Amino acid sequence: MAATVALPRANRKPTKWGSPLTYVLALAIAGVSIAPVAYVILSGFRTTGQIAADPAALPRPWVLSTYARVIQQSKFWHQLLNSTIIAVVMTLGVVALGVCASFVLARYQFRGREVLYTYFTIGLLFPAAAGILPLYLLLKDLNLANTYAGVIIPEVAFQLPITVVILRPFLAAFPSELEDAAQIDGADRLGFFWRILLPLSRPALVTVGVLAFVASWNSFLLPLLVLQDDSLHTLPLGVQNFSAQYSQDTAGILAFTSLAMMPALLFFTLAERQIVGGIQGAVKG
Amino acid sequence: MTATEPSVSLAGRAPARPARPRLAGPSRAARTRRKWYEIIGLTAPALIVFTVFVLAPMAFAVYYSLYKWSGYGWPTDFRGLDNYIGTYGAFRDKIFLDGLRNNAIILVGSLLVQGPLALGIALLLNRRFRGRSVFRLLTFVPYVIAPVTVGIMWQLILVRDGTLDTLMSRVGLGGLITGWLANTHVVIWTMLFILTWQYTGFALILFLAGLANIPHELMEAAAIDGASWWQTQRRITIPMLGSTIRIWMFLSMIGSLQVFDVIWVASTPAVRSLGASNSMATYMVDHGFTEREWGYGNAVAVILFFISFIAAVIFQRFVLSRDIEAPAKARRRVKN
Amino acid sequence: MRIKRRSGAVLALVATTVLVASGCSSGNSGTGTNTSDLYKNPVTINWWHNANQAGPLQTFWQKVADDFHALHPTVTIKISAIETNDLQRNRIPAALLSGNPPDLFQSWGGGEIADQVKAGYLKDITADTKNEVASMGPAANIWAVGGKQYALPFDFGIEGFWYNKDLFTKAGISSPPTTLDELNQDVTKLKQNNITPISVGAGDKWPAAHYWYNFAVHDCSAAAITNAATKQDFNDSCFVKAGDDTKTFIATKPFQNDFLATPGQQGANSSAGLLANGKAAMELMGAWDGGTMQTLTPDQKEPSFLSWFPFPSTSGGAGGNVQMGGGDGFACSNKAPAECVELLKYIDSPDVEKAFAATGAGIPVVKGAEAGLSDPVLQTIAKATQSAQSVDLWLDTQFGSTAGTAMNDAIVAIFAGSGSSQGVVDALKKATSR
Repeated sequence: MAATVALPRANRKPTKWGSPLTYVLALAIAGVSIAPVAYVILSGFRTTGQIAADPAALPRPWVLSTYARVIQQSKFWHQLLNSTIIAVVMTLGVVALGVCASFVLARYQFRGREVLYTYFTIGLLFPAAAGILPLYLLLKDLNLANTYAGVIIPEVAFQLPITVVILRPFLAAFPSELEDAAQIDGADRLGFFWRILLPLSRPALVTVGVLAFVASWNSFLLPLLVLQDDSLHTLPLGVQNFSAQYSQDTAGILAFTSLAMMPALLFFTLAERQIVGGIQGAVKG
Repeated sequence: MTATEPSVSLAGRAPARPARPRLAGPSRAARTRRKWYEIIGLTAPALIVFTVFVLAPMAFAVYYSLYKWSGYGWPTDFRGLDNYIGTYGAFRDKIFLDGLRNNAIILVGSLLVQGPLALGIALLLNRRFRGRSVFRLLTFVPYVIAPVTVGIMWQLILVRDGTLDTLMSRVGLGGLITGWLANTHVVIWTMLFILTWQYTGFALILFLAGLANIPHELMEAAAIDGASWWQTQRRITIPMLGSTIRIWMFLSMIGSLQVFDVIWVASTPAVRSLGASNSMATYMVDHGFTEREWGYGNAVAVILFFISFIAAVIFQRFVLSRDIEAPAKARRRVKN
Repeated sequence: MRIKRRSGAVLALVATTVLVASGCSSGNSGTGTNTSDLYKNPVTINWWHNANQAGPLQTFWQKVADDFHALHPTVTIKISAIETNDLQRNRIPAALLSGNPPDLFQSWGGGEIADQVKAGYLKDITADTKNEVASMGPAANIWAVGGKQYALPFDFGIEGFWYNKDLFTKAGISSPPTTLDELNQDVTKLKQNNITPISVGAGDKWPAAHYWYNFAVHDCSAAAITNAATKQDFNDSCFVKAGDDTKTFIATKPFQNDFLATPGQQGANSSAGLLANGKAAMELMGAWDGGTMQTLTPDQKEPSFLSWFPFPSTSGGAGGNVQMGGGDGFACSNKAPAECVELLKYIDSPDVEKAFAATGAGIPVVKGAEAGLSDPVLQTIAKATQSAQSVDLWLDTQFGSTAGTAMNDAIVAIFAGSGSSQGVVDALKKATSR
């Protein structure tokens, strides 16, 4: 009796204030998470000399020239564009390939299904840096060196295992009655996949999409090898180039780094709601 | 989810449902063929891309590991298992073994610290309150930032007489200051701390999502029955989080074995060369690639792979099997 | 930033190796011509140097190229400026191996040039450069192999202690030390005044290793060093003594705390940064340190309190008063056109050397060119270089990179308190027997 009464009451007030203890704890944890990041961003508002003299201080006076210099001097915007193109295409590719493969692994019964699944998950176990040399030789042979595709396709390949690991249980969790109903309504399995399952999977797809995007955005080694033209460089390479060229310019490097992490943070902010929903669904299974 | 709807319509139509709806359709053999076409068609792109761009290079890496090769041309100096167990092999190098030990510290430390920490915070914060999504966002930020940036950040903070030292002195903890990045006994724990900072938020998000799936009524029913908050967590909530916790453990384990970026950036070559903070992956780059010993570097990579593989198999066997055996046992008990 | 630079170097190694392994071309120059055809046909010279950071040196080399082109319009020069470690350790070896080397490229001499000569990569310029070599003094020998000249230096200086005159005065030190005992006394005085005596970038390994190198060249006879460099013979007991001397010196605790985490040159917390910002009194470093410190100060200027003294003499060493030094030079590849040698000679001509001196980027080798130096500290170093009894090249360059890396690692272990003097010799032996 009391249980059913309590539930509607909670629903009527969806966002009530929590207890002070909750807030203290939440603030403490959020603070620890953010403090170092804030430190880097704020340090961009100082000069190298200021940082050398007193590493822990806040900007006093606030120096705008460091950020301004970084934005103008470096090829920041161009690199931003390259990073974006690569990350977006790669994300779409991983999600597309991943959901197809996960669908099969989740909802078809066939001999060798578990073997196939294990095959994909082996990719998780190998350090990326080691296979890089043979990978590059391969890309060169396929004439993919120094192209966007030469970065995108391997990134998709590397991201597939984690994508399948997350998507498979999610897709498997949908009850089979759903599929039967679709059959009765005249759809075959593919139709079921396309018209019913995919729309319902949006949270999980966004989850793996965000993880893929972040992975591509932060990826350094592969673009370093494949993209020789400066004009194709991505942001991590840009940070590297900048710090090598102006290696003593601590403030500039921090400013550049801050700018480089902004897009990923922004993207995550926008997609945050979907991510948690997606993970929720994934761990249901 | 709209799963309830089809069930309703199904319930309405159930009696009318024909026993064999496909009598007039394609034969069973054709259906099987069709099924295989679909399977192959849907998995082929992923399979091809994965095999060509991930597995093939891995296979080559194994091949290269059997040679002494400086990276130019084609390897010609066959050495068999020299790079592994020979006089100058990885297993005979104290620094590599130190790296192995460091990986173990990070693996166990991550499991023991991040898990309970994230779990505890998740349990305490598993109630709806204003600003919860902002809070979740902020705790996830460390995970989103590139590891290289994380390393630089912490380096700046942990440098001698830097931010942390200054703050500690101000609150009177000055006596505890040591060389966070320079003291060879301490530095691996500093690395563990940085990794905890970066990845606890990830565990937290995972657990919060898992907790959201646990029906509220269960916990309220327990409360009505007189269970304390802690008893409720222990008996109901945590067990129901089981599969989430296990997924997280697996990802954490694999990540710990392959850790590279943060250690590479936050600790100096000197500290790594002493075996104080290196991991197998940084060792691979420091000694394999930097010194142009590509065969050796690939051997270390293969060792890393096998250790990860064994860990994954053991984990599968002893931990994940519970997900299979427990329900089976329960079913058996019910039958009896 | 320190780490990124290094990781960039390492990962660029991967990049380069891979590029070479796949036969990527790095550009090519015209075919060689004999001297009578000099300047008759248009040629392109690919020039790789290490002034990758915007500054006086980068501008200077560009001017040299432009001037040379103005003098000889048939010669076009294409410059690639590459970070120094990446250049020496990765790009040049890769290019040489691939068969597509640049024409004119940076050279540090010593063991590396010996390897390159053995593999037949370099042009023998003995006959063409007799005059230039004569104008240089003994430094040119470091770029010669078996009595033949294969490259020419343009910059050479010995290393020593860069120090802060103001802090010395504050501690009551009236003049820089000339013996090791005096140095130890000065360290004590500085500590009594709460000044960090010496900053060392042990995090990057080689700055710490230089202490061992200096003790080694003092303790070892010239023959012992030569045997070690050419025959990989490290059995002389002087090498163990060098370790002992290093240990004794470290035991006087002259360094900043946490030196294992301090980088050498990058960022304000590097050993150079500490000295530049007045947080330490001395640093043992090569002649380039002034330029490094310039970028680490709030006003981007080299501190005015800087001065310099050479590594103090020790007693009882078989080496006598040997100084440790190094420099930079350029070599022409065997495939380069004859115009490459002319460009090299032009770089080492007195006027160009004097202009080089004026950039403050280093110390010229050609006698008389040091008059172009405006920086008083560099003038001091130049004088000390020329009056040095004998000079030895950095040991890690002399012994070659495989031995050098192992040696540096073992020396770092001594600094960390976990290594032994014998450990350094063992590491050298192990590395060279692989």
